[in-house]
Amino acid sequence: DQVLHIVPETFQQVQDLHLLCSNLMLDLWKPLLPEDIRAGEDLHIRVPAPLVQEVKDSLDQHMISYRVLIPDVQKLVDQSMPMERSSHRQVSGGYVYTEYHPMEEIYQWMTQIQNNNSELVTQHFLGKTFENRTMYYLQISQPSNKPKKIIWMDCGIHAREWISPAFCQWFVKEILQNYKSDPKIRRFLQNLDLYVLPVLNIDGYIYSWEEDRLWRKNRSPYENGTCYGTDLNRNFNSSWGSVGVSFNCSSDIFCGSGPESEPETRAVAQFIESKKSDILCYLTIHSYGQFILTPYGSTTKPPSNNEELMQVAKEAAAALTGKYGTSYKVGSTALILYSNSGSSRDWVHMIGIPFSYTFELRDTGTHGFILPADQIQPTCEETM
Amino acid sequence: RAMELPPSHFPAGRAAAVAVGYLRYLRGGPGRGLELRTLRRARRQDIDDVGHKYCLELELEDVLDKGRTVHCTAEVLYHLGSKSTAPDVQVTVQGELRSTEEADQQFYNRIRSLEKELVAENIPDSHGNVPPELEPIHLLAWAASGYVIWQNSTENTKFHLAQVKHVKQVKRSDEDLQFDYVLLLHEMVSQEVIPWEVTVLWHPRRGARVPRDRRQPGLAPG
Repeated sequence: DQVLHIVPETFQQVQDLHLLCSNLMLDLWKPLLPEDIRAGEDLHIRVPAPLVQEVKDSLDQHMISYRVLIPDVQKLVDQSMPMERSSHRQVSGGYVYTEYHPMEEIYQWMTQIQNNNSELVTQHFLGKTFENRTMYYLQISQPSNKPKKIIWMDCGIHAREWISPAFCQWFVKEILQNYKSDPKIRRFLQNLDLYVLPVLNIDGYIYSWEEDRLWRKNRSPYENGTCYGTDLNRNFNSSWGSVGVSFNCSSDIFCGSGPESEPETRAVAQFIESKKSDILCYLTIHSYGQFILTPYGSTTKPPSNNEELMQVAKEAAAALTGKYGTSYKVGSTALILYSNSGSSRDWVHMIGIPFSYTFELRDTGTHGFILPADQIQPTCEETM
Repeated sequence: RAMELPPSHFPAGRAAAVAVGYLRYLRGGPGRGLELRTLRRARRQDIDDVGHKYCLELELEDVLDKGRTVHCTAEVLYHLGSKSTAPDVQVTVQGELRSTEEADQQFYNRIRSLEKELVAENIPDSHGNVPPELEPIHLLAWAASGYVIWQNSTENTKFHLAQVKHVKQVKRSDEDLQFDYVLLLHEMVSQEVIPWEVTVLWHPRRGARVPRDRRQPGLAPG
């Protein structure tokens, strides 16, 4: 059951809501009586689970906007009971996907995932970081005779955006857990291979665990070791160094000494370049902001396939909102956020990969980079 | 001469952040944290020799009372050319905010009765956790950050409070509570995280005031 929060805007909407509540005999939490529903005032309705989709469709048809105040009433009830909660949401091997994990554990997780799902998953070497750590990606691929197109997703290009690697891990788990039971996933994997890089900026991620929670860049030294770190998402060869960057190493948007100056960037770029004719879609996961961003950051001139890019993104955002009411904005980085150059997403699009998106996950600034672990699950569920 | 702006584009978003910061300072406190839910509408007017004025329609919510919508209108005037003048902000809140009188008094009494001055750091911690007894300290920091954000914003910046690095209570002989904070502010355009020393005075009836604030000199070592 869900509780929806609606603020009716017009008298017409009030009437439509009145009718909806009466016809379906919905449980009004606020106000108590349908006749007290008023324009401009908060309305809270509890909708029984079997009716949730129907009610949401009806609201969409009447152009009444809503948000989900309580996504799962039963869960809230259970949580308020003083009884031992079973450790739900724990999957094979006891890995807890609703917590943040340090890099050591993520390496172990990758090995486990491959071992437990060897028909579908292979772990591959991608490259080495500056501090000589190995970058691995997971290939999720159903064995088949026909050649398949690729969807690539990378997480953790910026060290402090912990929700991003958490999402990559969740994503892999969801696909593998539901592969047998979900026909959509099976059909998906019949035609597409998924390549997932759970942590791109490994050195930075470790540094954010051990030294500075709000570190962003990688850990390569400059200026004789007096200054560290390039912003990997300004280091790709897409109008490199032109806008929205700094040439000063101490800046958080330092673009490096040249395009692809960083080993992490090179590792990703070389791989994508080698597979570019097979890659259909590139996704790079960041936080925060709640955006689905399209090319470009370096110019407001739209990419050649902008209409299609936007349409797909809008449908994705709508599906995302449908889960918990979280609203995502869609558009190009240059219009929605700021100007920047050298981003991975722009470079990927410029070399010819048609669908290229940056996801900025929860939230919009209340917690920012330090998103509480109890939001991992809803964030990942809605983004799935 | 007033241009309608798309609310999802950054110019309107940045002005909204300033308005919300200002309101947080004015009306926020240990029992109330206001955040932006939606920017409904934005218009911009360029005033010759003065600056850029943004007129905004906003929907906010109190993090402790998310079911209630707070409707606001705001005007944010960025002064031309001047980097050191804070934008002029006016905010009108429609309706009443939830009363925090009881919670405020409880917090006030609790802090006044502490034997040792309160000291804490890293709120929230790396995993986003805030111990319940520190939540009011966190919300008060959020209100204080609103002042710093309002005073230091331009059309090319967007600030959020990333974390409370450190807080120390300073006992006073008058009726105010005093907290000396080091706040970490995240600036979206430069992506910098900036430490800021902020002294906050607070009293249940007088609200929050920032008599002293200072951007911490020097950049953090790489």
